[in-house]
Amino acid sequence: MTEKTLDCLGEACPVPLIRTQNALAELAVGDVLVVEIDHSCAMKNIPEWANKEGHNFEIEEVSDGQWELVIEKTH
Amino acid sequence: MPAAKDHQYYDLVVIGGGPGGLTAAIYGGRARLKTLVIEKSLIGGLATYTNEICNFPGFPDGIGGLELMRQFEKQAKHFGVEFKISPVKAVSLDGDDKTVETFRTVYHAKAVVIATGGKPRLLGVPGEELFLYDKGISFCATCDAASCKDKVVMVIGSGDAAVEEGLFLTKFASKVIMSVIHEEGHMDANAVAQQDAMREPKMEFRWNTVVDHFEGEGRLESVVLKDTRTGELLPEVVDRCFYFIGYLPATDLFRGQVTLDERGYIPTNTRMQTNIEGVFAAGDVRQTCLRQVATAVGDGAIAGFEAERYIAELEVYEKQLMQAELPGMIYVYSPIDQRSRDFLPVVREIERHFAGQVKLSLVDTYKGECLAGRLGAVDTPSLVYTRNGKVVGKTKVLEPQRIEASLRDLIEHEEFELAE
Repeated sequence: MTEKTLDCLGEACPVPLIRTQNALAELAVGDVLVVEIDHSCAMKNIPEWANKEGHNFEIEEVSDGQWELVIEKTH
Repeated sequence: MPAAKDHQYYDLVVIGGGPGGLTAAIYGGRARLKTLVIEKSLIGGLATYTNEICNFPGFPDGIGGLELMRQFEKQAKHFGVEFKISPVKAVSLDGDDKTVETFRTVYHAKAVVIATGGKPRLLGVPGEELFLYDKGISFCATCDAASCKDKVVMVIGSGDAAVEEGLFLTKFASKVIMSVIHEEGHMDANAVAQQDAMREPKMEFRWNTVVDHFEGEGRLESVVLKDTRTGELLPEVVDRCFYFIGYLPATDLFRGQVTLDERGYIPTNTRMQTNIEGVFAAGDVRQTCLRQVATAVGDGAIAGFEAERYIAELEVYEKQLMQAELPGMIYVYSPIDQRSRDFLPVVREIERHFAGQVKLSLVDTYKGECLAGRLGAVDTPSLVYTRNGKVVGKTKVLEPQRIEASLRDLIEHEEFELAE
């Protein structure tokens, strides 16, 4: 299992979502992708997409208005 | 094999971080309950999808939904509320140890507030599933308007949200096409929004239409509308399509445990209690007649308060009523009832008579019926006997001599049992 970090700080929608989709596609099942975001819109569309796709995820608010999305690729 | 889940213990777990859930958490936190809010995405829920909230009291110039929710969240954190952002995978709500699971953790709670709100309603037409969210069908103008600059978009619906968000989109898009199911000139939105929409040059209307299907290569390219009078198909090339056709309650997780109405909403009483003890519902998920930030806040306050009361009663029950040190005599009474009041000094006298051999506890049903319910004694006045933390007898016959005989029996015989 590997863990990769994707820095999307300062990027507005839909860029973080598209980069997340591309980055996850390159990982293997069970791998973890950590996406760093600071645009609140990405806090809606990335979890919505991950939920729809059935990937596991948890999110930490690392500071005010900045989050880390920890996504585990499930398929 | 997946790793064993971590177990964490809370007094109150609130599922859903919208205005209803956050308010319940604020009340829980302020009452010093160890409180956790579990939210699946952005804290603030549906309110964060609204560009401007004009009818939440206290903000005469309006306030952004996101900004208002940041304030709610800050207030909850101020009272020590913890947050976990992850979707809930399973719940087990019966009994005193309730659990709420995310993919890594099992959260245990004494009380649970369900404030999961709703999810956008879908049309279920061909092609829809292919283009949801990032592929062209959107539910949030605030989120996706910026990416529609100088593009043609379509809005489905004609209620307040559809028209107001459609107007917001005209600030970015070159054209906003509204698909309205009603006759020309008829919309469901409020009159002011309708007037503004009719005056907006960038807005066009397709009256008497519904979506027939969606088309595109990988991404949405056109919405094919159908004229409801003639059946004629009307393709419209658009860059993005926004749905504002209402919400469905997000209650799939609770089906089979919590009673739901035929539309999937959770019915509660005025105390926000569901059919399960210690489980409350608040906000849009509840069976109610108005779904606003202001109403969710009211629901949340009651749910948080009732959860606190429930937990307090639970502790009284476990620690006080079900104490195991001495044989117990619990007097269940109502201070507004004359017989109850008259007998109160008598039970106190009986306890004195047994000096140190029996413990008397009082349950006031006027304060709340939960404890009496747990004891299974609903009539007042009545007496419940306990031994080793268990109920061993109940009686409605309040004669001092009989009570004293029962107590002697209770003290002397391990096998004490009292027929009602």
